[in-house]
Amino acid sequence: MDFNIIIGGPQGGGVETAGMLLIRAVASTGLEVLGVREYHSNIKGKHSYFHVRVADRAVSSIKLPADILGGLDPETLATHFSEVREGGVVVYDEAIEGKPLTKSPSMDPAKVSRLRSTLAERRINDSIEGLRNYLEKEGVRVYSLPFSKMISDILKGTSIPIERTMNTAITSAILSIMGFEKGIVYGAIDTLFAGKAGVLEVNRKVVDTVYEKLSVEKVRVVKKDERLEAGGKRGRRLLLAGAEAVAVGKIIGGLRFQTYYPITPAADESLAIEEIARVFDDDGRVIGTPIIVQTEDEISAIGMAIGGALTGARSATSTSGPGFSLMVEGFGWAGINEVPVVVTYYQRGGPSTGLPTRHSQSDLLFSIFAGHGEFSRIVIASGDHQEAMEDAIKCFNYAEIFQVPVIHLLDKGLANSVTALPVPPLDTAIDRGEVVDGTEEYKRFEFTESGISPRAFLGRSIQWYTGDEHNERGNISEDPLVREEMYRKRLEKRERILKEIPDEDKAKFYGSDAYEDLILTWGTTKGAAFDALPALNALGRNVALLQVRLMEPFPADYVCKFIAKARRVVSIEANYNGQLAWLISHYCRREVDNTVLKYNGRSISEDEVISAYRRVIEGEGRIVLTGGE
Amino acid sequence: MAAEWSSEVWPDWCPGCGNFGILSALKLALSELGVDRRSFVIVSGIGCSGKIAHFVRTSGVHTLHGRAIPFASGIKIANPELKVIVHGGDGDLLGIGMGHFIALGRRNIDVLVVIHNNGVYGLTKGQASPTLGKGLKTKSLVSPNIADPVNPILLGMMAGYTFLARGYAYNVEHLKSLLKAGLNHKGAGVIEVIQPCPTWNNVNTPEWVSNNTLYLKEWDPLVNKKEDLVQKMREIVSLEYGYKRPLGVILEDNTKETYQERITGLNEYYGESPPAKQKIESEGKPLPINFERTFGRYLI
Repeated sequence: MDFNIIIGGPQGGGVETAGMLLIRAVASTGLEVLGVREYHSNIKGKHSYFHVRVADRAVSSIKLPADILGGLDPETLATHFSEVREGGVVVYDEAIEGKPLTKSPSMDPAKVSRLRSTLAERRINDSIEGLRNYLEKEGVRVYSLPFSKMISDILKGTSIPIERTMNTAITSAILSIMGFEKGIVYGAIDTLFAGKAGVLEVNRKVVDTVYEKLSVEKVRVVKKDERLEAGGKRGRRLLLAGAEAVAVGKIIGGLRFQTYYPITPAADESLAIEEIARVFDDDGRVIGTPIIVQTEDEISAIGMAIGGALTGARSATSTSGPGFSLMVEGFGWAGINEVPVVVTYYQRGGPSTGLPTRHSQSDLLFSIFAGHGEFSRIVIASGDHQEAMEDAIKCFNYAEIFQVPVIHLLDKGLANSVTALPVPPLDTAIDRGEVVDGTEEYKRFEFTESGISPRAFLGRSIQWYTGDEHNERGNISEDPLVREEMYRKRLEKRERILKEIPDEDKAKFYGSDAYEDLILTWGTTKGAAFDALPALNALGRNVALLQVRLMEPFPADYVCKFIAKARRVVSIEANYNGQLAWLISHYCRREVDNTVLKYNGRSISEDEVISAYRRVIEGEGRIVLTGGE
Repeated sequence: MAAEWSSEVWPDWCPGCGNFGILSALKLALSELGVDRRSFVIVSGIGCSGKIAHFVRTSGVHTLHGRAIPFASGIKIANPELKVIVHGGDGDLLGIGMGHFIALGRRNIDVLVVIHNNGVYGLTKGQASPTLGKGLKTKSLVSPNIADPVNPILLGMMAGYTFLARGYAYNVEHLKSLLKAGLNHKGAGVIEVIQPCPTWNNVNTPEWVSNNTLYLKEWDPLVNKKEDLVQKMREIVSLEYGYKRPLGVILEDNTKETYQERITGLNEYYGESPPAKQKIESEGKPLPINFERTFGRYLI
């Protein structure tokens, strides 16, 4: 069982709630779910949607065509109708039937012009009704139901406008069509509207009415026994967005001080930490409390986080491309002063403001090279929610063991996607590195055999730090020998990091050892490649997947071994230049044979990987993916 | 003894530099206050003044141009037991770092900011700083300064600082008393120190200082009731727009909560257990976190 549902509407018009209702309901039955959120940089009015994939096995990417499309407005139908499969379902409110497809003022002119050509090509009348006729002819089941009428009866005597419950109505219809019992929808609604008794009651009534109406229609898409079988296997899980998974991981990992300046999509993480606020033990005692500071800008955010780290608190800041651009000078200060500070970096479309709410993996080389001068850093890229949560803990360990700034490199695709994870076992090590209580003679930058100077926190001994080159005491020195030795001390950490970080944090291999083709990927693009792997192997080649995780220092020895064994190397990533492919060619002295790239701001889907791979087999060297709305 | 507060590093300022006076006053103040050197942190910016962090026998964090305040804020919030002072120049704190200067006042974090105000960017050969008077032409300027100067005291007042004072680098005794008052004050403070730069600023010389400043004698800087603050601010505006720049404590506002008190108001646990004092592991593993209570919002 594998279902793809798109539910869309105007931003601020209940799409978020619709998606969360759908996700919460299906996840509560024990099914696996991934909800990818697409939205404009806009508060109200522009097109926004959730692509929710539901399956009885783990899914880490979305897939098209969609099985069901739920539209809260004409633009959603106009935007996504071609993404629905034959035999799929489209649900919307009958009241919009007479509206034109191309006239929504929120539509991008480029989209309108594309849509006009499509309508002309396929001879579709410019109205929802015209679209319905077309879809029905194409074998799509269209449910144009009188939702407004049904809702307006329920809302009589309340001040709630119809649009406010349209999301519940359409989502209930989708869930009913999928064969979910009404109680499951109730459960999700009760959680989502907890504490709002009036709204909850109205929404329950909406569910009742929709379920009643659809029972008359007798539509079933999902077989009941499939659903229950999947549900039986699950324990309690966490339902969260990627940014929230990172928040949970950071708190488990001992984060106690986080600074941030509001930016999409990173701010969600800081908000989550602020909401969690207190860490409790089994007796209800508070055993920790992370402090969040919203700073005046990102320059301050990195400076404050470094300040916190100097006192011994596990400290981090969280940002996206424009914010990290501002942090770079401070990041270099952390480099020359060997400060264990963590920067959680959610990539989005750049350069400049770029596509603030859209996916991208174009800051890999930036995060590896950002900063003037040379210094050691660690860049770790997580490929999914589970990894993001665990890596959030490991980033603090590595920062403190090696005394380097660490970038936890994530992306918008992860930040805003929602999934269900098993409750983590709390067995990841917490390693604070070498910590001492210094004396009056303490040397913060003492030369040692290991290359790491034992760290004393501010307040435990006198110590000096400076962004200038410095001696062992931390005082300014321009002496050429001191310079050389101190420089080497900082740079040679690279070797130690590569020696001590375990292989599973360097790269993960999936597939059979007897591979002919090797797909290379990183970040959340791993999800689509991983999900596509069985289908790729069915294309007649033995294909394996290598997901690189440690991006800096680059684990060349480990990664290049896999490359050397491959007859064909294909990289898949969400940028124009093929930034991972570039690293491979630099470190492994081998050009990647095929690059599959995407830079339109939308996540790579499983089906795109499969169709791209057919083109790879046909010999196309560079393939640019263009899917998504 | 102030000598106990000297580090082993040779202060490499120009002979006659006003920074020497500030350094002496600071060491005297620390000595007289009986500060615990391990829990005192000097956070400084970039420029001549920034080097002061290396010259005092206490912890020194010599940061980036304009960014001493964020570093200091992070240190103080994460470990409020530390006493934190910021030293920076007028170009550093009021030019490139002005946003942070304002933010510190708004937060009223218990950090004292000492502005070494010499009117120029000394280490880069004397360009005009944000405090240099309009129309003035110090010796390395090609043409006279065409921007209006900023008044650090009035800017600090509007930003919400609760301690404001002005001193003179060559009056070490007086400056020492300001530093002691500032360090004893709970909340964000500013001391603007008029600091002659004998190398680059040939306008704001010691002679200019003696002709253009006056020591406050009858002035009462105290505000103990919220309703008195606006009246005091009006008086400060008049004072600052007078014919001479006042030297002394200008404002001591005891009516505002510090940032630590504000955080504690939201989260009582912070007061007793700030970030740097919290245990984060248990025998090399994460704390025994109860998932239901801590992350219950995400559980399904």
